[in-house]
Amino acid sequence: MSGPDFVDLVGDEGTPEELERLRRAHRMLIEAGPPPELSPRLSDAPAAPSSRSSLVPRRRRGAAFLLAAAVVASAFGIGLLVGDRNSSGFTQVLARPMHGVGQLASARATLAVGEQDSAGNYPLKMTVRGLPSLEHGGWYELLLSKDGRPTLSCGSFDVATQGVTVRLSVPYDLSKFPDLYDGWVVVKREPKQRQAPVVMTT
Amino acid sequence: MPRVSAIQPTDEELLARVADGDRDAFGDLYQRYARAVLGLAIRRLGDRGRAEDAVQEAFTSVWRAARTYRRERGPAAPWLYAVARNAIADRGRARTEPPAEPTDSHSDEPGPPEQAEQSWVSYRVHRAMEDLPENERTVLELAYWSGLSQSEISDFLGIPLGTVKTRTRSGLHRLAEALEEELG
Repeated sequence: MSGPDFVDLVGDEGTPEELERLRRAHRMLIEAGPPPELSPRLSDAPAAPSSRSSLVPRRRRGAAFLLAAAVVASAFGIGLLVGDRNSSGFTQVLARPMHGVGQLASARATLAVGEQDSAGNYPLKMTVRGLPSLEHGGWYELLLSKDGRPTLSCGSFDVATQGVTVRLSVPYDLSKFPDLYDGWVVVKREPKQRQAPVVMTT
Repeated sequence: MPRVSAIQPTDEELLARVADGDRDAFGDLYQRYARAVLGLAIRRLGDRGRAEDAVQEAFTSVWRAARTYRRERGPAAPWLYAVARNAIADRGRARTEPPAEPTDSHSDEPGPPEQAEQSWVSYRVHRAMEDLPENERTVLELAYWSGLSQSEISDFLGIPLGTVKTRTRSGLHRLAEALEEELG
């Protein structure tokens, strides 16, 4: 066990009792060693089980209503695909890796959330690799999720090549992450198909 | 920005709110204890991946068991430690491979009582560090865990050497106060 020299750190001024007390704290710091850094997986508290209380606290039910309205609105395209042309001015405040599932397990993506803009929207930037381009008018859709279940649409995109970066903007209050939602999923949409299988998840 | 200041709720107050289903309080409690619990889990399980699983299970247990906490029986930290330790032990029992901790009686490694003592000390030190003012915690982390000399810390942070020494001493004082129980 090694560490910095006690006298180098604090000098020798003080009563013997005070110095001994500091010295013991010094030894405990050395003995404890550094705490581990939290990985992105542990950066937020786990989703609390819903059995003890409702998913949405009473004081947030108004907000939940607004979010529900936002779901309807987003279904009509408020989640805006704006392409990758405005690459400047994006300040990342949250990032989550995503991975493919099932037959697309090798697909990878990085989803970054930018600072909320003055209108209340959050910009998203997603770099995707390994998703195939869809034929017959199909597209991919990014959705917020809670406990793995898709909730709010964040917009749609397509991939013309193996790697693509898309920018989206959502009106939801992502400061509630991971309270109201704790991740994202990508689903595959195809015309005339009600099923939308999850192809990627955080 | 200090993570915890005088106006912040105590661990006991947060735990009481968690018992009432307050998810914000749960998140705050998690931020205070996550690294300490992860350190404990890694020490016990010897595997980062399983330790991360154990941390999530530990805090899920905290959420479920918060109502059983009684403030009059003692501070929150030992209670949380016990809940986390049980969750980590459950995760350890669930494994199928040989245990990571040494069991060879001829080993120079500390035995279970010593390991338990070390785990408790580390847990308390890591938790206590979370409560230090940011400027003091940073100086202590750089000095103890990054191996920087006082002069190097001064250069690194761009502050006078005297300020480094003042913050180091002040931080150790606060830490000693927080760890009074362990110091005896």
